[in-house]
Amino acid sequence: MSNTLITFCGDDALRLYVPDRATRFTRARQLEASGYWAEVVPGRRDITVQFDPHAHTPDEAMQILTSALRAPLQHGQETAQTVTIPVQFGGEEGPALASIAANLNLTEGEVVARLVEHPLEVDMLGFTPGFAYMSGLTDDLEIPRLAQPRQQVPGGSIGLITGQCGLYALPGPGGWPIIGRTALSLFDGRAEQPFRLQPGMRVTLVDAGSP
Amino acid sequence: MALANRLVENKSEATAIEITFGGAALRFNTPVSFAVTGALSDLTLNGVTIQPHTTHTAHEGDELQMATAAHGCRIYLALSAVLDAKRFLGSSSTYLPAALGGHEGRALMAGDRITLDSVRLVPAQATPEDLHPVSSNSYTLRAVEGPDFSRGSEQIWAEIYTATQRASRMGIELRGMFPVTEQVENRPSSAIWPGALQLPPGGNGFLLLADAQTTGGYPHILQVARADRHLLGQIRPGDRVRFLHRTQSQAVDALRAKQALLANWLPEFTL
Repeated sequence: MSNTLITFCGDDALRLYVPDRATRFTRARQLEASGYWAEVVPGRRDITVQFDPHAHTPDEAMQILTSALRAPLQHGQETAQTVTIPVQFGGEEGPALASIAANLNLTEGEVVARLVEHPLEVDMLGFTPGFAYMSGLTDDLEIPRLAQPRQQVPGGSIGLITGQCGLYALPGPGGWPIIGRTALSLFDGRAEQPFRLQPGMRVTLVDAGSP
Repeated sequence: MALANRLVENKSEATAIEITFGGAALRFNTPVSFAVTGALSDLTLNGVTIQPHTTHTAHEGDELQMATAAHGCRIYLALSAVLDAKRFLGSSSTYLPAALGGHEGRALMAGDRITLDSVRLVPAQATPEDLHPVSSNSYTLRAVEGPDFSRGSEQIWAEIYTATQRASRMGIELRGMFPVTEQVENRPSSAIWPGALQLPPGGNGFLLLADAQTTGGYPHILQVARADRHLLGQIRPGDRVRFLHRTQSQAVDALRAKQALLANWLPEFTL
């Protein structure tokens, strides 16, 4: 693998471009398992790893990453775990659904139909604790982020922008228009893995109907 | 916080109390030693002036008062005891947006009582003079190019920026002339972390602090060097900020030099 795929990312991190989803997850697990990196954070096109600058110079870290990439990837036959999430779309739970539908010249039901017809895939967790970025939607529904992010979005909220859904595991600030909410608990503070959704999982959204 | 904990013989990362801008009063219901570091504010114990960066011992009923800090943003109070605080993912820090950790996941309010465990009394010590952080309203931070730095970004090294009122533990907004960057709609998000300078479309920069979000899609054009990231939490609205251009290896050399300065006084602390 050539060096051109890796760049410095500040003075204590490196970024590796891995546009292919499956390769990205396998590679991220491999780097994590090595125990060498302080952080391994998959993005939507890349993986960022943080190294210990007290122990290694940036050039040494670059060499270590380059040689780690020579190790063959174990593309497992693992099947992705699927989670079904019942969602109350629209209304108080999803205040932006009506305006999104109106802007697209669709009914609210037609927008919801697009979300539930195929399973989505969790690309990454990030932003605030447990926020899940999910892909699997086509890009033809153009939905911009909010011009002014909201200070507080309730936990369980589902946001929608072009091509992506986002699930807020916990309450927090957010810039995605909110189209629904799930009552399913996505967070358990005492569990070793406190967030139910993990990168690589498949998510089926189900219309839970009116409350 | 590490300096405050050191004065009461705690580990560097022991739970301490962070006070933003000062203006706080605390009553001790049990004898305990304490130390105050961070942003400089006038301190009194029962009305008598006391010094920061020094260990003090309070008696039952004593009252510690902190005036509003003249410079800096965050004051640290460490106690020679174990503070009762909720832990999340191995940390007792309070994360306000999701109400995690600390005291019920929120900022302390008048009337709150903090339970202390394993209270000890410790001998008086003082932070060595050369390790007192310089208190100022202008910051010169060493920084390296971020992943979205481009040839047009060079002016960032020449400008002096001003911190605005938009400030929290997640980040602080900087006003000034920023390079024009290509704004990509729904740009693929990548990892970001404290010390990152992001350029949202609004034209101002956003410097990320300790409670930074972990991923983001705005251009990340500069990264404050790890050696100077411990200064970021003291920048307050109105302060001036300049960035000094460093290469990756210069930044790591600076980190190791600063770590070596701390080694005697804070042997188990890592920058």
